[in-house]
Amino acid sequence: MAEPVLLRRVGHVDPTRLEDYLAWGGFEALRRALLRRPESIVDEVKASGLVGRGGAAFPTGVKWEAVARESRTPKYVVCNADESEPGTFKDRVLMEGDPFVLVEAMAIAGHAVGAEEGYIYVRGEYTRAYERIKNAVEEATRAGFLGDHILDSDVSFHVHVYRGAGAYVCGEETALFESIEGKRGQPRQKPPFPTTHGLFGRPTVINNVETLANIPPIVLHGPEWFRSLGPEDAPGPKLYSVSGAVNAPGVYEAPMSVTLRELIEEYAGGVRNGGRVQAVLVGGAAGTFLGPKELDVPMSFSGLRKVGAALGSGAVMVIDEQVDMWEVLLRLARFFAHESCGKCYPCQLGTQRQLEIVRRMASGRIRYQDILRLRDIQATMADASICGLGQTAGNAILSGLRVMGLDVS
Amino acid sequence: MTKMTVDWQRVDEVIARWAPKGRAGLLPCLEEVQEITGWLSPEVSRRVAAGLKVPLADVFGVITFYSLLYERPVGRVIVRVCDDVSCFVNGSQEVVQACRTYLGIEPGETTPDGMFTLETHPCLGRCERAPFLMVNDEEYGPVRGEDVPRILDAWKERVRSE
Repeated sequence: MAEPVLLRRVGHVDPTRLEDYLAWGGFEALRRALLRRPESIVDEVKASGLVGRGGAAFPTGVKWEAVARESRTPKYVVCNADESEPGTFKDRVLMEGDPFVLVEAMAIAGHAVGAEEGYIYVRGEYTRAYERIKNAVEEATRAGFLGDHILDSDVSFHVHVYRGAGAYVCGEETALFESIEGKRGQPRQKPPFPTTHGLFGRPTVINNVETLANIPPIVLHGPEWFRSLGPEDAPGPKLYSVSGAVNAPGVYEAPMSVTLRELIEEYAGGVRNGGRVQAVLVGGAAGTFLGPKELDVPMSFSGLRKVGAALGSGAVMVIDEQVDMWEVLLRLARFFAHESCGKCYPCQLGTQRQLEIVRRMASGRIRYQDILRLRDIQATMADASICGLGQTAGNAILSGLRVMGLDVS
Repeated sequence: MTKMTVDWQRVDEVIARWAPKGRAGLLPCLEEVQEITGWLSPEVSRRVAAGLKVPLADVFGVITFYSLLYERPVGRVIVRVCDDVSCFVNGSQEVVQACRTYLGIEPGETTPDGMFTLETHPCLGRCERAPFLMVNDEEYGPVRGEDVPRILDAWKERVRSE
């Protein structure tokens, strides 16, 4: 396993001390970025091939370029730190262990797109991460890495830290904007997209924590180096949150050529008690179950797409043969029914009907039409919901039934 | 539930600090106020609405939307047991059961003395420490059912000595 990039400082530095971050090369990328024209930074991020690590895998440089081209001001840089996808904890580990990197990345983003204000929206239940980020912002401001005229340049950038209040849907970018604006966190209809109408209706770059953590290394080492770190169609390092029935659950950094089997057996120490995999939920509750015969799939966007799954946030939840899969599916169905925000009907109604059917099936009363009905609900939610929550709310249930041998198409 | 006495002075200080932000200050304002008052009563909500110049209906709308904002009284200590997939796979049911037995209440309920509220919670993002338990801001994991009485005993002591 190569030297980690994203986790390089985690566990080795005191995350509350700016001196430690500086001693490990911190803020060098910002220093260099400030000496360069904003367009050249945007070009470099584009050339690196970095795509968003929050789940949607949108090219980061393309987002930045769109906002950089907007002439309307003010513009904003928002960090989506509302990590709530079940089974995902990589952003928390980064924020708790290396909070200054986010601050540095956001200041670089601000310079690149012409924004002078940034918001970090941290999940409400992430108390320690919130404290660490707040401390990092204060320390960086005190030392002149944030604020007016950063490092005596003509670039200014201020960061506000917000705390979520317990709503999965706020991880959806437009719902997150609504939340910061003091409203119920319900997603907006898109288009318009955040690059033109984001926070407070202004051009906004919104990036996930892990995505931003890649920025300083790209600025320091260049796009070619970044591309050399992974397979051709999936550049850069990736964090995987591996949990469930494994011996060593945790966050692991690997190139996206890594297979699911390698993550489970080599990184996470194998299935507990020498047991066997029954199913693996890849990508969190919004993700897809894979069966024991599908473990050799590469954990990249294209690799997973070939087996009908998606990388999403990089969550890997391992279910061994001791676990009652019905209990797992019931929890997932309950989760979506609870977290649906109620704004659009396909999701509001679909997640409820899905829960009712799964609950009945789990109690042993399975009807012939159940699978067809669930497929119909899933298709309706996928086609007609306005945000990713509803669009993915049926995936885990249907794929879980498939792994159990119940949905044979 | 004992009658709540609100420290209005501290509440007003928080409101005054967020007032310049207007509506964009609503969420952090409510979060900070709740840290003082424990929950967001209609009386407290009216104060926030007036201070931030946000319609009261919208303040209620926000409070009822977020699961960490409480429109009803809750215990001084909130016990959150993660019961999502990875915690379930690692035995969270045993932890839920131990909490029910110790507190004598069901998830969603508050003990009659107003000390504890029990909640089962969707993924808390500490899956490497499954099964995971959060008591107010303190983190425990991996926990076993047999650890629960000791953990909650300590919290009882802590609240009584405050």
